[in-house]
Amino acid sequence: MSVLAVEALVAGYGAAEEILKGASLHVEPGEIVSIIGPNGAGKSTFLKAVAGLLQPRAGTIRFAGTDVTRRDPQGRARAGISFVPQERNVFGSLTVAENLEISGYLDPAGAQGRAARLYERYPVLAEKRHALARTLSGGQRQILAMAMGLMTEPKLMLLDEPTAGLSPKAADDLFDAVVNLNRGGLPILMVEQHAVEALAVSTRGYVFVAGRESAEGAGPALASDPEIRRLFLGG
Amino acid sequence: MSVLLQAILNGVMTGTLIAVPAIGFTAIFAVLRYPSFAIAAYVTVGGFAGWFANSLWGAGVLPALAIAFLVAGAAGVATEEGALRRLRPAGALTVAIATIAANLILENVTRFLFGNDLRGYDLPLRPDLRFADLRIGPQQIENVLLAILVMAAVFAFLRFTRYGKAMRAVADNIDLARLKGIDPQRVAVTTLFLGAGLAGVGGVLLAVDTSIDPLAGARILLTVFAAAVLGGLGSIPGAVVGAFAVGIAEELSLLAVPATYRSAIGFAAILLMLTFRPRGILGERAS
Repeated sequence: MSVLAVEALVAGYGAAEEILKGASLHVEPGEIVSIIGPNGAGKSTFLKAVAGLLQPRAGTIRFAGTDVTRRDPQGRARAGISFVPQERNVFGSLTVAENLEISGYLDPAGAQGRAARLYERYPVLAEKRHALARTLSGGQRQILAMAMGLMTEPKLMLLDEPTAGLSPKAADDLFDAVVNLNRGGLPILMVEQHAVEALAVSTRGYVFVAGRESAEGAGPALASDPEIRRLFLGG
Repeated sequence: MSVLLQAILNGVMTGTLIAVPAIGFTAIFAVLRYPSFAIAAYVTVGGFAGWFANSLWGAGVLPALAIAFLVAGAAGVATEEGALRRLRPAGALTVAIATIAANLILENVTRFLFGNDLRGYDLPLRPDLRFADLRIGPQQIENVLLAILVMAAVFAFLRFTRYGKAMRAVADNIDLARLKGIDPQRVAVTTLFLGAGLAGVGGVLLAVDTSIDPLAGARILLTVFAAAVLGGLGSIPGAVVGAFAVGIAEELSLLAVPATYRSAIGFAAILLMLTFRPRGILGERAS
């Protein structure tokens, strides 16, 4: 059974033209799946719709076999979907410790233990424990955002451009962190601008064009497909 | 010199009383993103609830504060759930205008129930204390201490409790809060109860200091609003700082201009702040 199975998703903002025009995608247990494609193809919108921040107009979203299409974001978080947005992904006016704690809102009893393990895994967070989140550097903030996403004990992680705005070194570290998470068995669906690097660590990849998937394949194979390289990867 | 000191002292007293409803106003703004002018009516409702308990059952100031908190908080939640909530999709301005209407309705309900007279709490009279040339009433000192206690409780609630942190999370970033499983609607109801309840507490402190009548809240609305804007809308420490600033400025103005111009200080403070620093003293964003 797929962890995530999305069929013919149609969604957009307000009365404007739909951004997603029938997008389909699936994530299997243990996979890292990347979505790449040009700006405006609907990659981020797709993640928002899966997380519940955007109510789709048509299509279905099944999570671990259950239809969650009509659930609100809180309900999807409870089901085990964890979405780390690209921007505004930490509570800037709260300290690092408070950010982690509030992210364990659904399970306050287990939150302390999980926070302790995350401090161990990401020592930079332990160092900055009492700092306000808005004072962190870009890389530190991205690590905090991901750690917050893990506080809910997710069964699926959605990452929206986790390396956006990071230095090449910080971006490499972040890809390492993603791979490490996945080694523990956590399926990951991410949208990335750094398409080559993302596909290199992905089990499979999708190319989104104009609101739906136009190509799908194994990560490394997709990265070396000459047609895809010409169109999207600048080579 | 002592005139100046006395004015500053009075300003600190006024500031502490204004700070409590100003915290309520700014908390509601932080979470629900609209200015609730019905805060004036919650002040009045609280003042009367406390007066009712005081004159009927002989309740002292502390139980009167507790009763005012509960009654005004309930009035705030009822107003939101009964009317304002449905208007939220129409935008903040629409809700803000509706709070003016709600304010008039609540004010007239209290007028219908208690009449137009000024009502005083039945508390033992004590002579003013004198320090050199300065005069201060023992009740005023008590009020200031109570207000500080209430503010400390609010800060502790926001800083240390799970619900307080959820409230700050929703105020900071509502979408992210939902992604963490926090239900913004429940937080909104809690915030309204707390905010309106604090206004009610302010009503009792005000009534104990002077008296209560149906327009008591409306008279301090501008000062409360000015305090919140001055400190930065949505910032709770800002509301406290703003309240002291406006309170002291109002009292000092009495040394220079006739008392009838006192409320102009609030307007002037808002105008100056919006012109030179729209996000307020401690505000984080201009919104």
